Amino acid sequence: MTTLYVLDVPENTPLAKVASEDHAVTVGKIGPYFEISADAAIVIDRRATGCRHAVWYSSVAGVADGRITQHDKDALRVEPA
Amino acid sequence: MTELDHRVRGVDHAAFPTFDPAGTVRFYRDVLGFPVVHSICAAGWGPEDHPDFIHFFFDIGNDDRIAFFYYFGIEPFNQSGRGDSYAAFGPDVPEYFIRSRHLAIHVDSQEDLLEYRRRLDNSQWPVEMQIQHETIESIYTHDPNGYMVELTRAMRPVTPQEDLDANLTIDALLDVVDAPEPTFAKLLARKAELIVARAAQWEAAQAQESNA
Repeated sequence: MTTLYVLDVPENTPLAKVASEDHAVTVGKIGPYFEISADAAIVIDRRATGCRHAVWYSSVAGVADGRITQHDKDALRVEPA
Repeated sequence: MTELDHRVRGVDHAAFPTFDPAGTVRFYRDVLGFPVVHSICAAGWGPEDHPDFIHFFFDIGNDDRIAFFYYFGIEPFNQSGRGDSYAAFGPDVPEYFIRSRHLAIHVDSQEDLLEYRRRLDNSQWPVEMQIQHETIESIYTHDPNGYMVELTRAMRPVTPQEDLDANLTIDALLDVVDAPEPTFAKLLARKAELIVARAAQWEAAQAQESNA
């Protein structure tokens, strides 16, 4: 299970919402963080989130059992390690 | 975690050398409107080779000050084209590194930020960038000495969870740089561990606070 952690602040909530639209992805909470988990890759489309670049590029708080293979103006992709 | 009590009260002053005192006064006093609040005329000070100098201060709000040293009779040391009155950088030094050193001055609102933007844009030191970062908005320019100056406002207050996150980041960073070959990926992996380890504790503290 690959898990992406994103701090729950107003700028980041669209990111969690877009992630949750993928049925293979589970979005929960742990402490003040969104806990975004999946067995396969987690892919989030930047434009769908509407995040400004500064928010987008600093939104990842932690990654467990996975690695970021894409984090550019188009998408964030976290794949199983 | 630190248990040391916090007794400091902001920036008394940050000081920099200048070779252009007239430009410096025009920029800070006449363009930005920062009052001159103190100056020291020092002659015959220090060892024999120490030039006579003027040390002068501008009020940057909150009783904090930015100060400059002007030394009589010395030429700029750094004429290589990149850098500032303090330091020059060779062609191998990337621009982001040179720009990392800067002074950011706080304003309370976007209205205030745009007022300083207007003052700078009407001067010979116009705003070079206006950027919305994660939760702050900033304008940038370089002063007559080549120092990068930022004026910034918060777009919203900082939340307790951001303070927690900052502490997790720093604890993870210290762990990662303590081991060989620190990378961003290793930092995120270590942070994930700390998030899991500390979330319950944070939730309990928050619950206690909201019940208090």
